[in-house]
Amino acid sequence: MKFFITFIATCCISIASYAADIKLQNPSINIKAPNFTALDSYGNNIQLSDFIGSPVILEWTNHECPYVMRHYDENNMQSVQKMALDAGIVWLSIISSTPGDQGHVNPNKANALTSSRAASPAHVLLDESGEIGMLYGAKTTPHMYMIDANGILRYKGAIDDIGRGMQFFDASLEQAKNYVSSQMSELIANQSLAISSTTAYGCSVKYNYD
Amino acid sequence: MKKFFLACSLLFCTLAYSNPVETGHARASLITNLQDSQQESFYIGVRLEMQEGWHTYWENPGDSGSPFEAKWNIDQGFIIENVEWPTPVTIPYPPLMTFGYEGDVVFPFKVFRSLDSELSSISIDFDFLICADICIPEKASLTLDLSTAIPNSLVDAAVNSLPIDFIQTQSFVEGDHLKIKFKSSQPVSKAYFFPREDNLFAYTTTQKWDRLSEDTYEIAVPILNDEVGSFSGILRINDEGFQVKEELESAPSMSLWQAILFALIGGLILNLMPCVFPVISLKVLSFVSMGGNDDSKIRNHALSFVGGVMSTFLSIAAALIIIRSTGSMIGWGYQLQSPIVVGILTLIMLGIGLILLTNINFAAGLTTLGSSVQSRNDYSGSFFTGVLAVVVASPCTAPFMGAAIGYALLQPSFATLPIFLALGLGFAGPYLLLALRPDWISALPKPGAWMETLKQFFAFPMIATALWLMWVFMVQTSGDALILLLILGLILGIAIWMIATFKGRWKWVGMLATFLAAIQMFNNLPENTSELAADSSSEQWSLTIESDLQAQDQAYLINFTAAWCITCQTNEKTAFARDKVKEYFKNQDITYVKADWTNRNEDIAIGLARYERTGIPLYIFWKPGMPGSKILPAVLTEDILIKSMQ
Repeated sequence: MKFFITFIATCCISIASYAADIKLQNPSINIKAPNFTALDSYGNNIQLSDFIGSPVILEWTNHECPYVMRHYDENNMQSVQKMALDAGIVWLSIISSTPGDQGHVNPNKANALTSSRAASPAHVLLDESGEIGMLYGAKTTPHMYMIDANGILRYKGAIDDIGRGMQFFDASLEQAKNYVSSQMSELIANQSLAISSTTAYGCSVKYNYD
Repeated sequence: MKKFFLACSLLFCTLAYSNPVETGHARASLITNLQDSQQESFYIGVRLEMQEGWHTYWENPGDSGSPFEAKWNIDQGFIIENVEWPTPVTIPYPPLMTFGYEGDVVFPFKVFRSLDSELSSISIDFDFLICADICIPEKASLTLDLSTAIPNSLVDAAVNSLPIDFIQTQSFVEGDHLKIKFKSSQPVSKAYFFPREDNLFAYTTTQKWDRLSEDTYEIAVPILNDEVGSFSGILRINDEGFQVKEELESAPSMSLWQAILFALIGGLILNLMPCVFPVISLKVLSFVSMGGNDDSKIRNHALSFVGGVMSTFLSIAAALIIIRSTGSMIGWGYQLQSPIVVGILTLIMLGIGLILLTNINFAAGLTTLGSSVQSRNDYSGSFFTGVLAVVVASPCTAPFMGAAIGYALLQPSFATLPIFLALGLGFAGPYLLLALRPDWISALPKPGAWMETLKQFFAFPMIATALWLMWVFMVQTSGDALILLLILGLILGIAIWMIATFKGRWKWVGMLATFLAAIQMFNNLPENTSELAADSSSEQWSLTIESDLQAQDQAYLINFTAAWCITCQTNEKTAFARDKVKEYFKNQDITYVKADWTNRNEDIAIGLARYERTGIPLYIFWKPGMPGSKILPAVLTEDILIKSMQ
């Protein structure tokens, strides 16, 4: 664990001009999405490159975050997941909460959440070191990424256009423009997307910052 | 479920308001600085006393989080506005960074009321996100009875420490950072720039800053891409916050070479602008009449003219540098902010017009225009025509010229001179060419009687220019002063007539009379006394109007204009005064703001400097949804104007 943080910090210091900051990466749109390896909730070793040939959607999540809770309580996230499943898109839910922090779960709890919420991710990835989160610059839960069948990153940002602000808790999720579901067909066609980068909103990803 | 909540809140909302309210992780209360019941404006503060380790957010929360939302419940006769957010602090959760407030914070809101309204209860639904490691949306329904409220000094303290003052910055993109240069008379021990836009900058724990000189500092803020057009935010210096708002000139910022190129092209185009064209045309005529003369004579005349142009541009540059060194904000056309200069120019224009209609040949000075054929060896005539051409050019701004001069004036002095030099070279370009290749003059039409007719015709654009300058003069001073100027014009007319008609001594009597009358008039000239009447369809400009209107989500167009700016006046007529445009403003709910720079105004100069401009016209447009305001083209028609606002 300590090793990992040191490792990432060393990487980042060499890239970032300002030492002392553990810096999030900021992957570019329309170029190859960074590859990663992780364990899923069933103990399988998953690599992003395994899915070349199918589009992939990454969802950063934290089941205790009020923003995520609302998206799941109103069946909004699940319906997008269902759409992706029907379209042959691989959905990866990623939990980057550090052990002891909000949203951190063990594999059993992760699977229980999937079934109790009737969610349909292809895999739930446990990223408790935060390695993948920082690689992708995930800042909030939810934070969404869309990758096409050739492994090209096509979208990063918010799930919809409600945006940051307390209006989230009053706004209608149904009437919002969902950036993920509305751009799935272009993703499947391996095209660049009209809206490719937005500001994600939600709770912060609970990285290990101590 | 949702409906149920709604019904519930409708039923119980009046009961649910209280003060203070424990929201879970904070105690929220409403406080005021209202002292007596006769106050028309005062402040109400929402005080949030957060538990140790918890925080809430600034308007740009950083990497995550959310700003509060306030819904006021007020009686008629009251207006409440959120003046400005308090200066935030950094709340780092590496690798994430958020901006907000910890501990005990007061959010002040300004209240305006009409005095006939009753001081009663005022209430608010205050929704906010409060976070430690985890985030919780909390809510306070607060009420305050203004008739019994006790003034709380915390409100005054919060208002006084609001970041209201603008700090002037000069920024440019270098690599993956935006370097923001600012001045501080206080020694800086720490600095951090909080960007208001949420998609331009990376939020880091620290921002590197350097001291460049005695009072100049530079802070480097990492950017996400180099397409920073405009940005704003709060610069926290030590523990004090300042507003920053800047429009980067065609990012990445213009280079010196680009500015010089723009100046060259701008100078060339300046020849065709309405205030210069008549004077220049006369010079061209004089060259035409020189066709067939020997080349060296043509060359010398052309060079004298170029010399006149260049030395005048350099004098203006020198004057600008000197005035700027005193700390004044000035710009192109500033000469015309003095009614005395405008008065003298009016008389010059009028005089030239009259002379063109008669057949007088002044042997020297300004008046050798167009008819200097006889005085072949008098190169000073050509020189002074050059001077005159630049002087009358000052109210005109050519395309490209504004950007170049704007750049020049914000640069150190060594960069100002080459740009003005380039402007002069561009302006004098055609004549310089003539000096190099005098034989090209044969390409111009053959001299003949048509020249005399054309010369007389040019009297009318000159007199038209004089009329326009009279109007400027009247706007700057008063109708009474204008009459004085017109009387002076009459005396000038008589003097010219005397010179044309009589010989010998009488000529000098005429000149002397004009001279004495001029002295008399300028002694009695009133100071800039006119209060420029705001026209009813537009709002008065102020230094904070942009941030105010943006805070209200109100679309706006700002028109920086002046009576002496002829391009501005043309745009008024061809765009702003048109019904289609007025209708568009009305339908789209665009607030039309006029910043009138006819008289000297330091604030407007600062406003222009925010857009790296020192001259006008300048049109600024913003509507909700745009990340920053944008600069509209300098030459407008109704179609261009409407299209650029869509």
